[in-house]
Amino acid sequence: MIHFENVSKFYDHQTALRNITFSVEKGDMAFITGPSGAGKSTLLKIIYLSEKPDEGSITIADWELGKIKESSIPFLRRNIGVVFQDFRLLDNRNVFDNVAMALRIRGIGEYEVKERVMEILKTVNLRHKTDGFPKTLSGGEQQRVVIARAIVGEPTILLADEPTGNLDSDTAAGITRMFKDINAKGTTVIIATHNRESFRNTGRKVFRLDNGNLVGEEIG
Amino acid sequence: MYMLYSLRLAVQSVWREKWINLLSILTIAAGLFMITLTFFSVYNIDLATKKLPEKFSMTLYLNDRVSEQDRGNIIAVLKKNSMVEHVKFISKDRAMEELRGVLKNADYVLEGIDENPLPASIELRLKHESVSISGVKKLAADIGKIKGIDEVEYGEQFLNSMHSIRTGAQTISMLMVVLMSTGIIFVCYSTVKIMFYRRKEEIETFKLLGATKGFIRAPFVIEGGMLGAGGGVVGMFGAIAFYYAFFYKLVLTMPILKVIVFPSEIFIALPFTGLLLGICGAVVALGRIRFS
Ligand SMILES: Nc1ncnc2c1ncn2[C@@H]1O[C@H](COP(=O)(O)OP(=O)(O)O)[C@@H](O)[C@H]1O
Ligand SMILES: [Mg+2]
Repeated sequence: MIHFENVSKFYDHQTALRNITFSVEKGDMAFITGPSGAGKSTLLKIIYLSEKPDEGSITIADWELGKIKESSIPFLRRNIGVVFQDFRLLDNRNVFDNVAMALRIRGIGEYEVKERVMEILKTVNLRHKTDGFPKTLSGGEQQRVVIARAIVGEPTILLADEPTGNLDSDTAAGITRMFKDINAKGTTVIIATHNRESFRNTGRKVFRLDNGNLVGEEIG
Repeated sequence: MYMLYSLRLAVQSVWREKWINLLSILTIAAGLFMITLTFFSVYNIDLATKKLPEKFSMTLYLNDRVSEQDRGNIIAVLKKNSMVEHVKFISKDRAMEELRGVLKNADYVLEGIDENPLPASIELRLKHESVSISGVKKLAADIGKIKGIDEVEYGEQFLNSMHSIRTGAQTISMLMVVLMSTGIIFVCYSTVKIMFYRRKEEIETFKLLGATKGFIRAPFVIEGGMLGAGGGVVGMFGAIAFYYAFFYKLVLTMPILKVIVFPSEIFIALPFTGLLLGICGAVVALGRIRFS
């Protein structure tokens, strides 16, 4: 499903990723871990085409990213749901509209949008916050809005960048359970986290990054 | 399709930034109103200078050696010309008589002249309704080539200055229209640019969610079009108000202005002109959109 071959990414005075080769199979749930600054976010950004690698090649499903046409990028992105580290919620829109945006950009009609958004808000337990604005929600609630927006379009891949970063352990456990459910329905899930608790005893693949290098691959 | 949603975004944006947008609409309206006034002036100058003056005539001086038969031929040819309404022959004697008539008691200046120095001539009256200024010049040149005609005289200077006024007005109006149109496009350009920057963050998110360029552009293009068309509608009401003030107030007090006309089709053209210019401005403002 996702394959990196000798991928490197350099910023001006910084190597964010060096010669990374790894694969995640369809339907897998995998973790990327490592200390802050290791390159986890950069790796995810390359997958959702927010950053371009300087070297190497990447294949996602049947798309080879280096050869993809600019005009195809939106359609590839629709197959990839992203839970951004900084959420990227639109503060001037309520929960419903934030989630609905993922469907509206696809040109889906309002009737279907309403049905699907309500359904997904039920799944993430936010039915009662439909009309709330992001700034009035708790961290865990905001996180769930972002997850709802990422999965409402039924992507084949879900990426999450530090999804439990600022949450208390109970809330974090709830979020992790949510990702497992999503994965159980067939979505390939990749989670970047510096928190060992997230993948301990999950039995899932964990890739360890340090200073831009892939230093280990283990089972959590 | 997402057009319905784009329209909603555009309306929301117009409403959210209503003061900026109102200012833009008024500026556009002023520009379009000026274009209307320019058009109004040029249209009337054009009408007034398109036709020849009613009593316009052309005088052809004949060579003294032209035989009577040649003269008859010349007159026959002239009568057949489609621009000519009336042909009148004035003999040397008749010309002298007319001169004496003009001089009256001062005709002593003619004493001592044995031979009549005045040439015979032909006076042409042209169809002033249908003959253009350039038509007259061409006719004069053609006639000048006919053997036996020494000189063609018509109000050349007068016609030339009429022509200058005409082309001058046209040039100025073209400049004015180009200038105003550019100004209107620029107003739409700046407004849309401001809106775009205010929503930069949101647009970045749209892109990451998989929005196409069309989805990103559409609300802004619609907004530009709405500003332009809005300015057009306001400008149209301004033009209508001007129309009534001019023709129902001013003309009543100054009946001489009755000859002035105003093609009212221009009213309906204003909103569409605005729409088009607004869309142009928005498209230029958006420029290229890149995903990476
Ligand atoms: N836009 C950027 N410009 C310059 N350096 C960057 C940029 N983004 C990330 N980096 C650098 O790349 C390295 C990896 O960053 P990142 O992928 O965010 O790490 P992590 O998510 O593991 O904390 C860090 O040293 C960071 O400073
Ligand atoms: Mg990070």
